[in-house]
Amino acid sequence: MTRFAPIAAVGALLAVGVAAVLLLTPAGEPTDGERADVLARELRCPDCQGLSVADSPTQSGAEIRRQIDRLLASGASPDDVRAHFVGRYGEWILLAPSSPLPWLIPFIVLGLATVVLVAWLVRARADPEERSVPVSPGARRSIHDEAEALDA
Amino acid sequence: MSRVTLRRIRWLLVPLLVVPLGWLLFTGFGRDPREVSSPLIGAPAPEWTLPTLDGGTLSSADLAGRPYIVNFWASWCIPACVDEHPVLASVHERQGEELQLVGVLYQDSAADAEAFLARYGDAGYPHVIDDAGRLAIDFGVTGPPETFFVDAGGIVRDKQFGPLTDALMADRLGAILAAAGP
Amino acid sequence: MIPTLGHVAVLVGLGLSLYAAVAYLLAGRRADARLAESGRQAVIGSFLAAFAGCVAMVISLLSHDFSVLYVAENNATTTPPFISAISLWAALEGSILFWTLLATGWATLVLYRHRDRHRALMPWVGATLASINVFFFAVMTWPGNPFTRTSPVAGEGLGPNALLQNNPFMALHPPLLYLGYTGLAVPFAFGIAALVTRRLDVEWLRIVRRWTIVPWIFLTLGIVAGAWWSYEVLGWGGYWAWDPVENAALLPWLTATAFVHSAMVAERRGGLRIWTSALVIATFVLTLVGTFLTRSGIVASVHSFTQSAIGPWFLAAILIALGGALTLLVWRLPDLVGGGRPAALLSRESAFLFNNVLFLVLTFAILFGTLLPLLVQTTSGGTISVGAPWFNAVNAPIFLALLFLMGIGPALPWGAASWSTLRDRFSMPVLIAAVVAAAVLALGIRDAASVATLALATMVAAVMADEFVRGTRARSRGRSEAPPQAAWRLASRNRRRYGGYTVHLGVLVMAVAIGISSGLSSDVTVTVAPGETARIGPYELRHERLVVEPLRDDPRVIETRAELTVSGPQSGPLTTALRDYPNSAAAIATPSVRTSLGEDLYVTLLASDATTGAVTLHLFVNPLVAWIWIGGAIVGLGAAFAIWPERRAVAVDAVEPSRRAVEPTVVAPSAERA
Repeated sequence: MTRFAPIAAVGALLAVGVAAVLLLTPAGEPTDGERADVLARELRCPDCQGLSVADSPTQSGAEIRRQIDRLLASGASPDDVRAHFVGRYGEWILLAPSSPLPWLIPFIVLGLATVVLVAWLVRARADPEERSVPVSPGARRSIHDEAEALDA
Repeated sequence: MSRVTLRRIRWLLVPLLVVPLGWLLFTGFGRDPREVSSPLIGAPAPEWTLPTLDGGTLSSADLAGRPYIVNFWASWCIPACVDEHPVLASVHERQGEELQLVGVLYQDSAADAEAFLARYGDAGYPHVIDDAGRLAIDFGVTGPPETFFVDAGGIVRDKQFGPLTDALMADRLGAILAAAGP
Repeated sequence: MIPTLGHVAVLVGLGLSLYAAVAYLLAGRRADARLAESGRQAVIGSFLAAFAGCVAMVISLLSHDFSVLYVAENNATTTPPFISAISLWAALEGSILFWTLLATGWATLVLYRHRDRHRALMPWVGATLASINVFFFAVMTWPGNPFTRTSPVAGEGLGPNALLQNNPFMALHPPLLYLGYTGLAVPFAFGIAALVTRRLDVEWLRIVRRWTIVPWIFLTLGIVAGAWWSYEVLGWGGYWAWDPVENAALLPWLTATAFVHSAMVAERRGGLRIWTSALVIATFVLTLVGTFLTRSGIVASVHSFTQSAIGPWFLAAILIALGGALTLLVWRLPDLVGGGRPAALLSRESAFLFNNVLFLVLTFAILFGTLLPLLVQTTSGGTISVGAPWFNAVNAPIFLALLFLMGIGPALPWGAASWSTLRDRFSMPVLIAAVVAAAVLALGIRDAASVATLALATMVAAVMADEFVRGTRARSRGRSEAPPQAAWRLASRNRRRYGGYTVHLGVLVMAVAIGISSGLSSDVTVTVAPGETARIGPYELRHERLVVEPLRDDPRVIETRAELTVSGPQSGPLTTALRDYPNSAAAIATPSVRTSLGEDLYVTLLASDATTGAVTLHLFVNPLVAWIWIGGAIVGLGAAFAIWPERRAVAVDAVEPSRRAVEPTVVAPSAERA
């Protein structure tokens, strides 16, 4: 199995390379229809429970989709479209916060937690002398009880 | 940090975790989580021209110069719209000279609306039919009943999310009637 | 008469639970077996009281007794009997009654099962569980009395909530979910008992293993059932919207899963006492937070019961449980620190611990996203939304990392892994994964998450298959067994491991199904007149007619039905409807789902025109959705296999030879520190 290692490594690198090329190559200018779809997924349906306008079965959802199409057709940019609805509903109409901070916080926490874990693992490894298992008072009692029970 | 200090500090953990959580969850009480704060307050009210229930047309331009109230409602919005109906009727009756009341039909049919008015009383102020829902979106309405208070200069001054009561109505009216002073 | 009896039953339950809590508390302090026995009888009594209360409520519902407010609000004379019966858990007060039944049931079960063992721990377990039951009985006595009367008695009730009548899942999802929630109080109670008695070695983890996994299975099945129900009923073609209450069910599941994994490390290597104790506390508190979010009205959700006086009670319970448990934890901190043999940075232990980090970050992220709108509203008064785009973007990478760990963790050795072991075990799976990734990209799938999911899933599957094959081969050679027999014996002799692998397999199936169904589904909205045909993918749907008529089972409901004929992979008639319930503003969609293993054809009726008979339909083709539910079932079965008792001579817990109370004499701490 070990002899596969270099092939596997090369294969993995190749795949990653292909992936990167394909994924990162811009797919060309998005059409109005595609931009409308993206916007419809970002905007919240006003009278649904947390659904996007794209998923909305209600009249207001349908009307917002129509307005998105109309605005894009008349030359508005996606930012303009978002601003149009935010001007009426406030930030609430956007299904995800526009400020970058909420997006970053979970990953900051992830980074911190990973650092703490790695540090803990490395440090615990580094002092073997302290690592004999201390016996808690409860365990002592358990052992005592069981010894007694055996003698009984 | 010495061991002793650590041993003492650890007790801080408990209030440190419990108090913020408790405060955050507690502040949620008494608020309607569906209420959305409106960016229209302080901004000019949207312009519109829409058909009325009795066959004519009404536009926002017709209302210029006087403060007006825009009330979004529906015949299926029970019991909230039923509860606030007399409140609106009484305002129209007492203060119909100073301000204009306009009802906007939200995702409803003219027939059902007329049945509602026949049953609960037609106070006499006009109702427009927002067929496509465009006006509701322009006002940022998420569901009936929602009421907007516009002053004589055409600026939205206040918004009521949910049904109006006499007390709430008096409170909100203060925002637009004061502006229409001498 | 019956409702009064029900109310009396609740009061009896409250009294008995209070007695049990006090009796167990004293039994724990004085090591008095008779008091413990008495407490246990009281707990059994409280279960019977809760049962009687439920029976009284169900009878009231079945007999349409509108003198009871709950019945008047959730039942009508036209409500079918089955729906009436399951309306026990349809709304706030009834659901708490049902919850209490399950909570007292678990308490009875665990206290009875361990009645002759672990005499030091059990009184504290009993005290904790009884106290929890006191809370729920108290809620039913004061702010949330299910047997509140109403007068004058109406002739007709409001009827059940429209959304809850459409689908048989109403009978499954809440019970499964509640069994999970209430069951997770048991590991918590053991954790508290361990902290109080300072018996913080792995013993309590070993006892608690099955008591954690069984509720975990129910919680998993309950969450999957909830997703399936949403999919079948809500009409938007999806199954998970990151709605606050969906999130609330997921949170304790995440911490419970983390707990099961770190408990394995602790059992093996010792240590991790603070971590496992904290996890079991977090799991229980999150179950309370979950029901709080559903019942308090502080977040808007598909599920929200109305805002009521119960909210503050639940908040108080959360804060007391969290504050009390944390105080206990901090108090015992000196006993909890240290211990355990360290693990290398690259080992199964560290993989499990990284998996814990990921689960906890997920829990934090989901809780953060759910509560952020509330936080913003409180601090600045503004309203924001945190919806699916945020949750998907944040959670997807973390789920993918978990998928990766799921692949490498079980294949890493305990202790430390050398590079040659890594090369040996993972070269082939990584290679296969790379090939799959390239193939998927070549096929035109560009969505990064879908590609990554498929590649990682392949890697995990390859690693698991490799393990299984190696093990079978070794056993087959070593014992001269035929491979199939060797495979079965291998699995059934190592149920924990192979049950775990089956669970992981189920997760893989779900991951792939979720990835593909979200990335590759297609939909179209179309309006057709009678006789016209709508097309999507390989399907053609011809609109036959539009029918508007009352429902046969419940004439108060008006159904607007589009009757279609499908040609294509699953041909035949299909109806999709909108139902107008008298107590609901908007019509409720009953989408039609034609399921096959490969894909679902999903049809929702959006609007209709009674005069022309034209209908507006939203059509979806959702690939692989059936595999999400199948995967969920595999997870449940795998976990059940993992804990299924093996027919072995070795008894896990030795029964004490004598039944008299063993006095735990305090051992004078010896001078040397071991």
